[in-house]
Amino acid sequence: MKYLVPAFWLAFIFSCTSIDIDDEKPYIDLNYTQAFPINCDTLYFGESFIFKARFTDNVELGSYSIEIHHNFDHHSHSTEVSECHLSDPKPAINPFLYIEEFEIPPEQSEYLPEITIELPEGNENGAFDEGDYHFLIRLSDREGWSDMRGVGVKVVYRD
Amino acid sequence: MLYPKELSGQTLSGQVSGRTQSLPGAVIRLEPGNYLAVTDAKGHFEISPIPSGRYQIVVTFMGYGKHSDSIDIVQQENIFITLSPQTVNLQEVLVSDHLAEQRKRETPLNIEIVNDDYIRQNMAGSLMQSLARLPGVGAVEIGSGQSKPAIRGLGFNRVVVVENSIKHEGQQWGNDHGLEIDQFAANRVEIIKGPSSLMYGSDAIGGVIKISRLDIPAPHTTGGTADFVFAGNNMLLGTSGYAFTRREKLFFSARATLTHYADYRVPADSIDIYSYRAALSNNRMRNTAGKEQNMHFTVGYIQNGFSTQILASAIKSENGFFANAHGLEPRRVDTLLHDKSNRDIQYPKHKVEHLKLISKSNLTQTNSAFDLNLGIQRNRRQELSPYVSHGYMPANFPTNIGFEPEIERAFEKHIYSANALAHLNTTGRTNISLGINNEYQINRIDGRGFIIPEFEQYLAGIFATAKYQHTLATILHAGLRADYGAIRIDEYSDWYTTPAEEHGEEAYAQRAANLSRHFHSFTWAIGANHNISGLSLKINAGKSFRMPTPKELSANGVNYHRFSYEKGDSTLSPETAYQLDAGIEWNTYRFAMGITPYINYFPNYIYLNPDFRHNHLYGNGNQIFNYTQSSVFRHGAEIHSHFNVSRNFTLGAIAEYVYAQQLSGDKRGFGLPFSPPPMLLLSAKYVNKSRQWLSNSYLSADIKMVAAQNRIVPPEKKTPAYHTINLSAGGILSLNKYPLSVSIQIHNLMNTKYFNHTSYYRIINVPEPGRNLIVNLQIPINREITQTNHSH
Repeated sequence: MKYLVPAFWLAFIFSCTSIDIDDEKPYIDLNYTQAFPINCDTLYFGESFIFKARFTDNVELGSYSIEIHHNFDHHSHSTEVSECHLSDPKPAINPFLYIEEFEIPPEQSEYLPEITIELPEGNENGAFDEGDYHFLIRLSDREGWSDMRGVGVKVVYRD
Repeated sequence: MLYPKELSGQTLSGQVSGRTQSLPGAVIRLEPGNYLAVTDAKGHFEISPIPSGRYQIVVTFMGYGKHSDSIDIVQQENIFITLSPQTVNLQEVLVSDHLAEQRKRETPLNIEIVNDDYIRQNMAGSLMQSLARLPGVGAVEIGSGQSKPAIRGLGFNRVVVVENSIKHEGQQWGNDHGLEIDQFAANRVEIIKGPSSLMYGSDAIGGVIKISRLDIPAPHTTGGTADFVFAGNNMLLGTSGYAFTRREKLFFSARATLTHYADYRVPADSIDIYSYRAALSNNRMRNTAGKEQNMHFTVGYIQNGFSTQILASAIKSENGFFANAHGLEPRRVDTLLHDKSNRDIQYPKHKVEHLKLISKSNLTQTNSAFDLNLGIQRNRRQELSPYVSHGYMPANFPTNIGFEPEIERAFEKHIYSANALAHLNTTGRTNISLGINNEYQINRIDGRGFIIPEFEQYLAGIFATAKYQHTLATILHAGLRADYGAIRIDEYSDWYTTPAEEHGEEAYAQRAANLSRHFHSFTWAIGANHNISGLSLKINAGKSFRMPTPKELSANGVNYHRFSYEKGDSTLSPETAYQLDAGIEWNTYRFAMGITPYINYFPNYIYLNPDFRHNHLYGNGNQIFNYTQSSVFRHGAEIHSHFNVSRNFTLGAIAEYVYAQQLSGDKRGFGLPFSPPPMLLLSAKYVNKSRQWLSNSYLSADIKMVAAQNRIVPPEKKTPAYHTINLSAGGILSLNKYPLSVSIQIHNLMNTKYFNHTSYYRIINVPEPGRNLIVNLQIPINREITQTNHSH
């Protein structure tokens, strides 16, 4: 009982002071003119490309991650409104996989990531499977709100 | 058969008094026919119309001995009944089905009690959805046929479900796991709102849902019921058959329930999953069909002062999950396959099987009663979906792994419970209860995804409660409890390799390490009841606790259903809660109103806190969610009232409100997930008891107004306000010798498109079901034995 009464009082006082909270999600802007890759773009094994987008938040951005995984079985859908042409479903033999996370410097409410991503020629099993891949961007702000965009891309070898 | 008019319209009136004063609020019950009346402020009552004949009359009033007599009613009768004061025998309270009001007046806790008639008249796809109209009671919905309980905004492991005196144990932590209870087998449901660890131990920090089968038949009777249910929205067809027989002392009963339902319909052509729009075919939520098959058996023996029962049940269900999003991940669907039939259950889906064997015994003597309840349960659940290589899982499922590629997660839990309870009436004014609870559980896991570890858990509690009848009007309560808990978590490593951080060897990532934790807890409660004529006051203060779950201690994996990399904390302390609860109820003949305010403080609420970081090695690039503890303050209230405009017409209102705020930690100032927004329900009900071919008929309309929920935590979405209209009608049709109970409901009359903030699918913008017509029929096989007899 000796803890209960002060605890309730304390709680009451705290609950009366309204604390401003951030309840807005960050935003991944792929309509940004230099954004790359966007839905239906093509990437090439053995070459590098620069990931570009525009991230915004009402308060402070946190971190983001990028994942490139195969979608040969058409298991998942991109988050984009427009559909792009998918090749016929096929089994995966040696699909390419890339997962990496990146922190955003503190106190940024707008951030233009420019990340060079190297797509290797192959691995110890030989050449990677060409075809439909998913390019997944996950963004969070400092408060833990998040946005996610998945775009469909083709990853192939340049002839 | 129609009764001749002159035989059907008798009136029984009378006066109930104690030795010196009249008794308002006494309950009068006539059998057969289950006629009920409550005395008014002057102790007067009237029951009409009743057919002439011989009846058993039972009169009860809190604090007084029960009056029981037989009476011949051949004309207008007026009787005088005098009750003598007596200390209440707790045992009587516990077994009386029709004395819910008395139970409410004697407990310091805020409770709701409903019976199977209520469940039938409000029946929805699952038990908690059927009960969600009650103030302060909610359901976390997963599609149309499954739900989890929530009390005053707390759910999951913070609500204890007790079925037939044994704590029901499934996988309560899961977002998409429903409660494995057959709603046709619930004869009586008591909901305790607020922390109740004192009697129910760990987890009862949000409240308790107590479900009982009350099927001790009257001696030398045989009979049963057949129930049929149809729901238009998801084309649900269900039936439940029940049969019982009792000789002098030995009785048996059996029940079988079958339901099957198709994909449910929403008032929308498409669902916006993130920025992607998934088209629906004929407004149907693709692949949300399901089925349920349940069996129950009871064998019991009853004689003066002693009863014992063995209750066995098997609950089996299979449900599809919305195919366009597995969890929250948008999935490409094969529309040819999925739209071919609305009734088939394709991947993704889950299968659940819950077996239960309970032994319940009671010995009642003049000044004492003893209960011994033993239980064995087995809960098996499988989540099935086509193999998809998430993160570093191999692109193709290897052939030499010990599980099928389609098993995404599987759990098998065995639970052994033993509870003993003694009630002692020591001085005639004091009732003391002493109890011991024991529970051991062992959980095994299987499948390609890791979310909770394998574990063993033991919980033991010992408690004492005292109830003191201070004056006729005032009851004082106090209780103490000590608990011990132990958890042993087993190591788990991935079945596939993950690349090491810096050019190292690929390794099988360890998700959970061996862990052993012990917990102690000491809880208490004090309370009081004060009942004066139409006014009932109650107050209760107490401390409750909850032991951290294995998931909270040891999670370390991606919940692909939510894109979250969830990390446990092996150092978490048991969650505690302090609560101050009050109840004021005022009843007159015409008007009744009750308000139940509460404040609730958690010094260390366990919260899954979204971090801003991502993790690629263990979390496959997903956002990190850490189990952490913060202090939380909650307050709220429920209000319910009704006004009898005339003998047949009643207006009612129910309101509920809960506010939660985190006072410390990263999310200081935020609320809690799945917080229900304020709600106001207005109802109008017309009841007519006088028709001959149709008795106890009713017609009612509810308008439910729900405010917007703008106090959200990541990754929730703000949910706009809405209102819906529900209609219901029913009665007992006596066209031939079997009276047929009919109840008809129309949910969401206007086919409104709205979102339920506490629905699992809210985050991907799945609206609630559209208009739904629900028809429920019950046919008793033998009229006389539809009532149960609980006298010892």
